[in-house]
Amino acid sequence: VAGTRVKVKDPAPVEAPPDQPIPAQPAPRPREAPRTMRALRESRQGKRASRAKPLENVLRHGLRLERVPDPSVLVLFGATGDLAHRKVMPAMYQLWRTNLLPHEFMLLAIGRRPYDDDAFRTEVRASLEQFSRVLPLDDAAWSSFAERIRYHRLDFADSAGFDDLADALDLIDKDAGTRGNRLFYLATQPSQFSEIVAQLGRVGLDHETHDGGWRRIVIEKPFGHDLESAKRLNREVGKVFREAQVYRIDHYLGKETVRNLLVFRFGNTIFEPLWNRRYVDHVQITVGESIGIEERGAFYEETGASRDVLQNHLLQLVSLIAMEPPATFEADALRDEKVKVLRAIGTRLADPASEVVRGQYGAGWVAATQVPGYRQEADVDPESETETFVAARLTIDDWRWSGVPFYVRTGKRLPKRATEIAIQFRAVPHHLFRETGAEPDANLLAIRIQPDEGIMLRFGAKIPGLGLDVRSVTMDFTYGSAFTVDSPDAYETLILDALQGDASLFTRADEVEEAWSLIDPIVEAWASMDAPAFPNYDAGTWGPPEADELLAREGRHWRRL
Amino acid sequence: MTAPAGSPIAVNEPVLRWSARAQSIADIEKELARIWSTQDLTTEIDGERTRHIAARTSVMNLVVIARRPEVAIRGAATIQALTGRHPSRTIVVQSADPDGPSWIDARVEAHCILPREDAPETCAETIHLTAGGEAGRHLSAIVTPLIIHDLPVTIWWPGEPPFTSRAALDLFAVADRLVVDGSRWSGDGLDRLREMAVFAAETDIAVCDFALLRQSRWREAIASIFDDPDFLPYLRSLRRIAVTYATHDESGATGTTNIVRPVYHVAWLASRLELAVRKPLAEMVPAGRSAKTRPVAGVRPIVGRGLGATLSDGRSDVHVVVRPVVSSMPSGTTLRVELLAERRGSELRADVMAERDLVHVRVWQDGVEVLERHFHAARRDDVDLLEQAIETARRDVVSSGALRSAAELVGPPGDA
Repeated sequence: VAGTRVKVKDPAPVEAPPDQPIPAQPAPRPREAPRTMRALRESRQGKRASRAKPLENVLRHGLRLERVPDPSVLVLFGATGDLAHRKVMPAMYQLWRTNLLPHEFMLLAIGRRPYDDDAFRTEVRASLEQFSRVLPLDDAAWSSFAERIRYHRLDFADSAGFDDLADALDLIDKDAGTRGNRLFYLATQPSQFSEIVAQLGRVGLDHETHDGGWRRIVIEKPFGHDLESAKRLNREVGKVFREAQVYRIDHYLGKETVRNLLVFRFGNTIFEPLWNRRYVDHVQITVGESIGIEERGAFYEETGASRDVLQNHLLQLVSLIAMEPPATFEADALRDEKVKVLRAIGTRLADPASEVVRGQYGAGWVAATQVPGYRQEADVDPESETETFVAARLTIDDWRWSGVPFYVRTGKRLPKRATEIAIQFRAVPHHLFRETGAEPDANLLAIRIQPDEGIMLRFGAKIPGLGLDVRSVTMDFTYGSAFTVDSPDAYETLILDALQGDASLFTRADEVEEAWSLIDPIVEAWASMDAPAFPNYDAGTWGPPEADELLAREGRHWRRL
Repeated sequence: MTAPAGSPIAVNEPVLRWSARAQSIADIEKELARIWSTQDLTTEIDGERTRHIAARTSVMNLVVIARRPEVAIRGAATIQALTGRHPSRTIVVQSADPDGPSWIDARVEAHCILPREDAPETCAETIHLTAGGEAGRHLSAIVTPLIIHDLPVTIWWPGEPPFTSRAALDLFAVADRLVVDGSRWSGDGLDRLREMAVFAAETDIAVCDFALLRQSRWREAIASIFDDPDFLPYLRSLRRIAVTYATHDESGATGTTNIVRPVYHVAWLASRLELAVRKPLAEMVPAGRSAKTRPVAGVRPIVGRGLGATLSDGRSDVHVVVRPVVSSMPSGTTLRVELLAERRGSELRADVMAERDLVHVRVWQDGVEVLERHFHAARRDDVDLLEQAIETARRDVVSSGALRSAAELVGPPGDA
């Protein structure tokens, strides 16, 4: 490669020795340096003509959407688990069915249960019948996909087993032409991440060699339990894999509407000029769930709403809403800007007592069904202090957002499942229609992420008639109406991106750590307070009254969803 | 005017919800307005007529120019299958009885689709319009009043668009995108391809050719060879491009088989690699006989030799061969693309072949096989292709570059 480039010798830097004064005169030009504009232009053009074109696969131009990932093996750890069957396998099947995976593709399922290939395939088929987003299954697509599934039994604590895994992968490369490209997908319990990563490193499965193909690793959330554990995990992963090989998944980032946020903000002219403290009064972000903790009592007891949703989904949404435009649409440019937002979140929530509200649901009614309180759920401490609701007032101390509060909230057993970002604009500076007694509400832009993905803009309009009555109306864009087909599942998007080496929608180590550094002080402050008076909201309501007070004391209120 | 009773609607199955006839543009406009002002869009469920909620949605105007009834039927069916993803106001225009008096007959329909069980129906309009006599020659005058302003206009011309006719150019002037299928043009298709390139260069309209879209997996397969850093240096050192295509004409007469697709392969490579055309495509003859430019249909060519051209990268020539092989595959289908590159005494040879629903890539470096890979290349129907044509960026580099290079490869009109 280097042989095709002409080496241009750099002129020696003109530098004074450290103990001598800098010479007053500018450094003399090299004797042959062009002095006139013409000479300069000709010398540049001459140089350019003699310079070999940089090596670039120009045939790739314009083929971005046609790109098929390299031949590869996806090694799925935790293949018999719930996540693999509900999300990963249906996504893989859908990608295969739509010809988005390479022909030379294999899925090596890793688990501890004693399956053979056929038994595992039967299980996968049963899961797809239940969870595939396109039913009925396409028999031809399924049978060709099934041929590419192998099952490999492995106990993660068994070192020798990883040697066998390396041999199995080499064999697959030979048989299936997968060329040493491997995507390791950790869909296991988080406690097993470190061990698996270390074992992969021990047997050299992380090594990217010139002819050995690429190696990447996808790690599911939660990435750590707090800042310290996240740093430790980052360190352990970093001992084996380079950061560029690591894909930390937060499936929210793969959702169509979340991806559309970037297009909406940076692909349109009309919104960005308003996207700042001058026009925006405040921002509200809600990630509401009507379900409880289901069968995950033990997990949730250790997690709570702040770790389960605020640390990742909510802060990711804040980043995407508040970030500056990246210079390019490349992974690191995008993530650099997101990290800047997290770093600018004001005061690091030094006073959680006044800026953060926590709650826990008691018994109540949701969707016409009576549901138990959190403390009555299975595997939950009857005196649990785990929060199932959290609301916070964040500020972002930068030029664009200074003084604009970002109110975020998330909770279990809320009246409905709704995720929405609302940009509340300021009121008009002069109330021209005050006399009519019908001053319209300030403009509002609501970005609905689920359900009914779409965007709504509220503005004032005159009511038809002889008078001058004004009313707020909405302009509504619904994904489901403008594009009435299903969007790809977030996992399809993210797995395909990982196979193609595009990390834009994955979180980087520093992003994860910054997010934890916001959550840790909150959790620590709670730990030092008196026990909360839980439960403090009924299932089927929008959280404790303190969440409303968080806004009410500034003359605001949560949007009614 | 009829407002057909709807039956319970199945998810993602377009259902006819409204149908009316009109005999003038003004009447069509009235019917369009009436569909959405009528409060009695009803559906019959379990024998009871009930009101349902229907939202009108259009993201574009789609105009289909069908010169024959069967083309109109096929076009309308294709668009109906796209209602879900691209609900559009669709205008299917046919001409009839060109020498008779002017008349218009239109059927105005609303088709609705239920995206999900819990969602309101989404409806879009289709206007099937037949224009007789002089009216049928003034397409622009028919279409312009019926398009929804401010929405993009895509014209799909499944037949042979007359790129030099005034009437067609007037129609194209109201459009943002023109969709054609060069692989269905008569003869070898190259004259019309040249005309289209001229048209595209002189206007702002984005031209999208199914013939080029069909080859996307071939392009992906060929591009993938040079993703390998070991092979990338050869990319700028191509010396030979050979494209083999299927013909049903056992005489091998190249003028009788549409070769737009094979020519596009060469044109795409030439445009991406900035190869200039030194000698346009001409019939290849054995040494000692003079070459004439592209063969005239009916003149028996030298069997199996095909067309040759010479490109140049500024330092060396790149020889091009486009040759027919009698095959049971559809006529004009690309069967094989071979590339030969030479660099500093080393040779890279790539062979890309069609195999059922796959494209098979093999690469040899100095005679040693170094790469083998397959790509899925399932046959694509008009629904797929139209969908991609609509979703492609307005002026994509692949399309505009390949079209420009194709015109240069075909050569100036005088050579035809």
